[in-house]
Amino acid sequence: MNFLFDSEEVPIQAGDTVASALYRSGRRIFSRSFKYHRPRGLLCCSGKCPNCLVNVDGSPSVRSCVTPALDGMRVRHQNAWPSLENDALSIGQHFDFLMPAGWYYKVFTKPATWHRVEPHIRKAAGLGELFENPQGIPEYEHAWMHAETAVIGGGPAGIQSALDAAERGEQVVLIDDQTELGGHLRYRKQRGADPRERIDALAARANVTLLQRASCFGIYEGNLLGVLLGHPHAGAAERLIHLRAQRIIVATGAYETPLLFDNNDVVGVMLSSAVQRLIHLHSIVPGRRAVIVAHGSEGDEVGADLKQAGVEVVEILAPSEIIAVRGSGEVKGVKSRRGDFACDLVIVCGPRVPDAGLLSQAGAKLQWSDVPGAFVPVGLPLNVSAVGDVTGETPVAAAQHFPDSKRAFVCICVDATSRDLKQGIADGFEEIETLKRYTTATMGPCQGRMCQLNAIQVCSRLTSRSMDETGTTTSRPPNPGVTLGALAGAKHHPIRRTPMHHAHAELGAVWLDMGEWKRPRYYQVAGAGGEAESVAAEYRAVRERAGLIDVGTLGKLIVRGKDAARLLDKVYTSRFSDLRQGRVRYAVMCDDTGVILDDGTVSRLADDRFFVTTTTGNLDFVHQWFDWWLVASGWDVSVTNVTGGLASVNLAGPKARDVLRKLTDLDLDPKAFPYMACREAQTFGVPAILMRIGFVGETGWEIHYPAEHGEEVWNAILVAGAEFGILPFGVEAQRLLRLEKRHVIVGVDTDALTNPFEADMAWVVKLDKEDFIGKAALARAASGGGVREKLVGFVMEGGVPEDGAPVVIGGIPVGRVTSSRYSPHRKAGIGLAFVPPELAAEGAPVRVRVRGQLRTAIVTMQPFYDAEGARLR
Amino acid sequence: MSFLIPCPNCGNRSVYEYRFGGELKQRPEATASAALWHEYSFNKVNRAGEQTEWWFHRAGCKQWIQASRNTVTNEVRKSWIAGEDPA
Repeated sequence: MNFLFDSEEVPIQAGDTVASALYRSGRRIFSRSFKYHRPRGLLCCSGKCPNCLVNVDGSPSVRSCVTPALDGMRVRHQNAWPSLENDALSIGQHFDFLMPAGWYYKVFTKPATWHRVEPHIRKAAGLGELFENPQGIPEYEHAWMHAETAVIGGGPAGIQSALDAAERGEQVVLIDDQTELGGHLRYRKQRGADPRERIDALAARANVTLLQRASCFGIYEGNLLGVLLGHPHAGAAERLIHLRAQRIIVATGAYETPLLFDNNDVVGVMLSSAVQRLIHLHSIVPGRRAVIVAHGSEGDEVGADLKQAGVEVVEILAPSEIIAVRGSGEVKGVKSRRGDFACDLVIVCGPRVPDAGLLSQAGAKLQWSDVPGAFVPVGLPLNVSAVGDVTGETPVAAAQHFPDSKRAFVCICVDATSRDLKQGIADGFEEIETLKRYTTATMGPCQGRMCQLNAIQVCSRLTSRSMDETGTTTSRPPNPGVTLGALAGAKHHPIRRTPMHHAHAELGAVWLDMGEWKRPRYYQVAGAGGEAESVAAEYRAVRERAGLIDVGTLGKLIVRGKDAARLLDKVYTSRFSDLRQGRVRYAVMCDDTGVILDDGTVSRLADDRFFVTTTTGNLDFVHQWFDWWLVASGWDVSVTNVTGGLASVNLAGPKARDVLRKLTDLDLDPKAFPYMACREAQTFGVPAILMRIGFVGETGWEIHYPAEHGEEVWNAILVAGAEFGILPFGVEAQRLLRLEKRHVIVGVDTDALTNPFEADMAWVVKLDKEDFIGKAALARAASGGGVREKLVGFVMEGGVPEDGAPVVIGGIPVGRVTSSRYSPHRKAGIGLAFVPPELAAEGAPVRVRVRGQLRTAIVTMQPFYDAEGARLR
Repeated sequence: MSFLIPCPNCGNRSVYEYRFGGELKQRPEATASAALWHEYSFNKVNRAGEQTEWWFHRAGCKQWIQASRNTVTNEVRKSWIAGEDPA
């Protein structure tokens, strides 16, 4: 078992993380720092610091110390060129006097200069880069869980809380970010008894779910926990769990933070808990000679561990005694007030800070307390509690020493030193929140975990304020950071197919995505050229012979009940109570501001039964809109969505009647089945609703029939029409055909402010109705108020503007083209455009910008094709 | 935003299962003044505290419900089927 680090094979042992395997193989430099490109090595070994970030299998900035090492992984270093050992940009640290805190605010005061240098600064001061992973983009997934009690942290306090809750019979979820439960007892052997028995007891409980190698990155409203689980199964990189808990117990413990002295960031300076982890969890001998920096007797524990592991403890120094670490790349020794010591490890026993970020997200306040010497959480919200070291029950101790130095790094993420903080305060940024933004201290990848306490203490001393007066920076989720892929989740995109989908595919359909639906854009006939030729052939078939289009994506609702007509009168602008049985009427729906929401048709199948169609994308909205107006009305109406149950086609063209006659016994004579009539009848032996309407401008029937007969009837119509030269046609031909008739598409030729008067559809608004949605606003619009612009048709010789092209007067855009196409009938460009109301007159010239050129178009208020509608009747 | 809304039909559910339907308002008569219609159409009270709102449970029972939400804390203490007594 091994993985590849850059080009070097790294062997893996059981229980290894990427970092432990690298350290065992002899690697000491893990990264280069953000600003000065100083070499950095393992510091915390617990996923809290920024020093071990690497690229793993294409994902940048992965914390290698908490990432299990897997066979075949591809690991790369980041932010160093050409290598971690020799990084050209480390030259920068010798020019640090040029780059104090906030230097770019002071130097690049002109936007032009900043824009020139910004890319270079961003590249130099960066973290990982994205690159193509040869194994492909990893898969991510989401999961949802519920718990009565969620415990965050698998240390002794968390284990005990989970056991207690489990014994009360609660459903418990325990979240722990380490490979094994036990918390600090796993590597601080002198702190308490082996928790093995209690862990086994927990694992044996049926009402306990253990989420291991999972980090809780946020507490959100309603006790929702964001949990990120690494490698849930082969083939998935991460699983994001939305965990809803009735009670949350935070047992995140405390973590160790660095001390301030010169060169406190040199490779080989490690927190005492980090070396304890290397020794006890990974059986690694971390070095040969160690100097321990500790207050009082705090160094004894790690000293004993080091000696046992065979590391010589050269000296134990107090924080006030150490002057500097010697060594530019790795530790060579220590300079102290008690003399110089040669060593290859400097072990720091730093303050152990309660890991209270989640509690503060949940609404707790962090209050300074001298007794543990830490900010402790107070005022916990209902149903959130804290146990163990996170409460500050264990003294944090470690008396700090605060040198004023440009080599004492407060924030190792962004290379902010104690001198930088002093400079920031001198520049006027005395408040911790502004000092944070100015120096960017606490704003790096560790999100302030390593530096928050030090930064606040430095700020507090330099401004002579108490810790509470200085306050804390704010913890926000996600912490730790979350992969964007995990937030995005699985690449699921729902697709809806009409019942005739496979028939379309066999006919050579080229697809168009409309929301979730797949619709044939046009049919690619073998050897028939491209889209233009196909669309032209489909257009000719409809105008000259017969065409068939699948309109199954239309929304279809059955509205029935004694008060059905009353509802339709209320929600549509036209009147339906006087619609005779067997008749169809065009329907426009507005809101109370008069804006067009949707359009469709209403067919009266019986006195108390209507068949309503909606546009493809608005079905759910319209259904909910109906229901909303019905709620608490006491009316006898039910609305049923039958969209999925019906297949729908539009058969149109001068030969449509001849085709349909072969499939139904219904009298299709124009006198018996006139334009805008509807019938229920057997068609090809299947019960169907037939409506004589003419969206494309030819004699035609919209036929709705049970979806299970979708392909059967579709094919039967094509077979019956073969002798007349029928062709199936797609959405593109339909758009051209309807445009020649000047029929609008709601949402294309109207927008979120268009009312029916602006859309030149005054005839659909029946202001003499008692009341309907939008009546008051439309009454005002009818008298001229609120008509800002008008939708007109236009003809343009020798050119076709693009959809959206501006209509221009005197160089100023005053309107826009909503749809335009080349019309084979008019042999010119045609389209619909919004223009100022005064230009909405037959024959008025307007100027339209067509690909940079101003061209003249002539306004028309008539359909471009068959203005009298003779072909429909 | 991840609060819970109790549905009278389905029980406590995530807000993501719902569509927001706005504040509960009294629709003016068709003949009401333009000012009243303007107030109804465009202005919101947006009270800081308890306010009654419309919610549509699109991922559940597909019913319009009314709920009393505290806009400061996002706590929804009660909900009811529109038209029924909220008590």
